[in-house]
Amino acid sequence: MIKIENLKHYYKDIDGNEVKALDGVSLSIAEGEFVAVIGANGSGKSTLARHLNGLLVPTEGKVTVNDMDTMDEDRTWDIRQSVGMVFQNPDNQIVAAIVEEDVAFGMENIGVPSAEIRPRVDKALAAVGMSDYAKHAPHLLSGGQKQRVAIAGILGLEPKCIVLDEPTAMLDPQGRQEIVATVKSLNKEKNITIVYITHYMEEALQADRVVVMGAGKIQFMGTPKEVFCRVEELEKLGLEAPIAAKVASELRKCGAKLPKDIITEEELAKALCQ
Amino acid sequence: MLNNITLGQYFPGDSFIHKLDPRTKLLCTLLFIVAIFFANSPISYGILCGFTLLVILVSRLPFVMVLKSVKPIWIILLLTLCIHIFTTPGETILYQYSFLTVTKEGLELGVKMCLRLILLLLFSSILTFTTSPIVLTDGIESLLRPFKCIGVPAHELAMMMTIALRFIPTLLEETDRIMKAQTARGADFESGNIIQRVKNMLPLLIPLFIGAFRRADDLAIAMEARCYRGGEGRTRMHQLSYGSNDYVAFVVIFVLIFGLAFLRWGTKLI
Ligand SMILES: Nc1ncnc2c1ncn2[C@@H]1O[C@H](COP(=O)(O)OP(=O)(O)OP(=O)(O)O)[C@@H](O)[C@H]1O
Ligand SMILES: [Mg+2]
Repeated sequence: MIKIENLKHYYKDIDGNEVKALDGVSLSIAEGEFVAVIGANGSGKSTLARHLNGLLVPTEGKVTVNDMDTMDEDRTWDIRQSVGMVFQNPDNQIVAAIVEEDVAFGMENIGVPSAEIRPRVDKALAAVGMSDYAKHAPHLLSGGQKQRVAIAGILGLEPKCIVLDEPTAMLDPQGRQEIVATVKSLNKEKNITIVYITHYMEEALQADRVVVMGAGKIQFMGTPKEVFCRVEELEKLGLEAPIAAKVASELRKCGAKLPKDIITEEELAKALCQ
Repeated sequence: MLNNITLGQYFPGDSFIHKLDPRTKLLCTLLFIVAIFFANSPISYGILCGFTLLVILVSRLPFVMVLKSVKPIWIILLLTLCIHIFTTPGETILYQYSFLTVTKEGLELGVKMCLRLILLLLFSSILTFTTSPIVLTDGIESLLRPFKCIGVPAHELAMMMTIALRFIPTLLEETDRIMKAQTARGADFESGNIIQRVKNMLPLLIPLFIGAFRRADDLAIAMEARCYRGGEGRTRMHQLSYGSNDYVAFVVIFVLIFGLAFLRWGTKLI
């Protein structure tokens, strides 16, 4: 679905110096996959995300979405329609003063006939569990609800893939729960490809594959188990493994015989009670 | 403290007036303003006042609330009245005190002018009381669309209004938050003379502006990510359509206009 080949992206900072935000990233994402991207601040996660729908274009290398090159300006709108994006700040991505109008915004932009918009808005709101709030004003919603409205706005465009750039960073635990559950169900039930950038390791545990970024490069990747049992390597990159994995690693250092792939609390508890 | 500001002055309801298409209401308001300038006799002013009262009754708005919308311009009304009373030359002198002369003509003209202003204001507030700002925006966009060829940015204006409606409450919330944060650090927004107060506002305004620019940046990117590329080829979820009520409204307003025009010029023709 998405292919990234040796992607490099350099920003110019205020003094005109080059900042290498991405320094040779290669990654391919299959249709229906749930990929989590983790990495310390400034490791290039957002820059990578913005290449996936042509908001940024490569300085070097190539990004293709369903065989459409993001450099090809004629396909920009097709690409943005198939790859939707949810941003960190829930307030700054809702355009209209009524929830349902905002959900309709994307569809209006791509010229969906008026009669078709209504049913698609209702369907999208139902898919994120926000049907009851169709007529509400966005500023009266909670952060989690706002993010779900933003997701609904993208679902209206019937995308193949949704990229979420730290969608839970500004939410309380309950809101985070809501978003993770919503994203998971979209992935499982609608087979939408998910690229989920996060600072929360527990959220990354839900993914099929975890990509670890550091200094503009992919450091390593694999299933959550493969990634999170590499506690020390993660720490070197400024990341913290889930608590269970850390505890297990410390216990192993003290000589406890524990399996190497413990990453959740339940697994740790089970292993300890044996 | 800033939370209870309602945007615009929409008063929800489901009266005949509320249900009219926003374009009808906008056009009828314009036509009514024209009608106001046709009036020149006490009878025609009576008709206009009666008509306004009737519209308020039909719209089922609280009468006092509508009348209160005149309050902000009372000083303009007073000035208008005084200027006309004291500067209009005339024959019948009612009162004279040194250089100030009050004539009957001046008094009449002053009252007429004030009445015109009051009617104008009342009628346009009925428009904003009965139409939500969002629907009003749609109406304005749709009415301006034909003027696109002469360079009126209809869609852009409507988009600006939509975004303003969306973000004003958010910015008010933010203002409130910054105010509390700065008060906690010892800032004082309430006391001192004007200059001092403006100075004290700086720690409020600077973060507010920086925040607003950051929001604008984020929003632009989010809109682009959702395929926004201007008004070209855009469709709308809600399409405005005229119904039978709208035709009734147009007929009524045209009858009013022609009636007033007849009262003014028609009598001379006969
Ligand atoms: N517009 C820009 N101009 C110049 N440099 C930039 C710009 N945006 C990002 N950078 C730099 O590029 C690097 C990668 O930034 P990016 O935003 O992709 O990181 P990130 O992994 O998303 O970080 P965070 O976790 O804080 O969101 C950083 O060093 C950052 O300072
Ligand atoms: Mg980021």
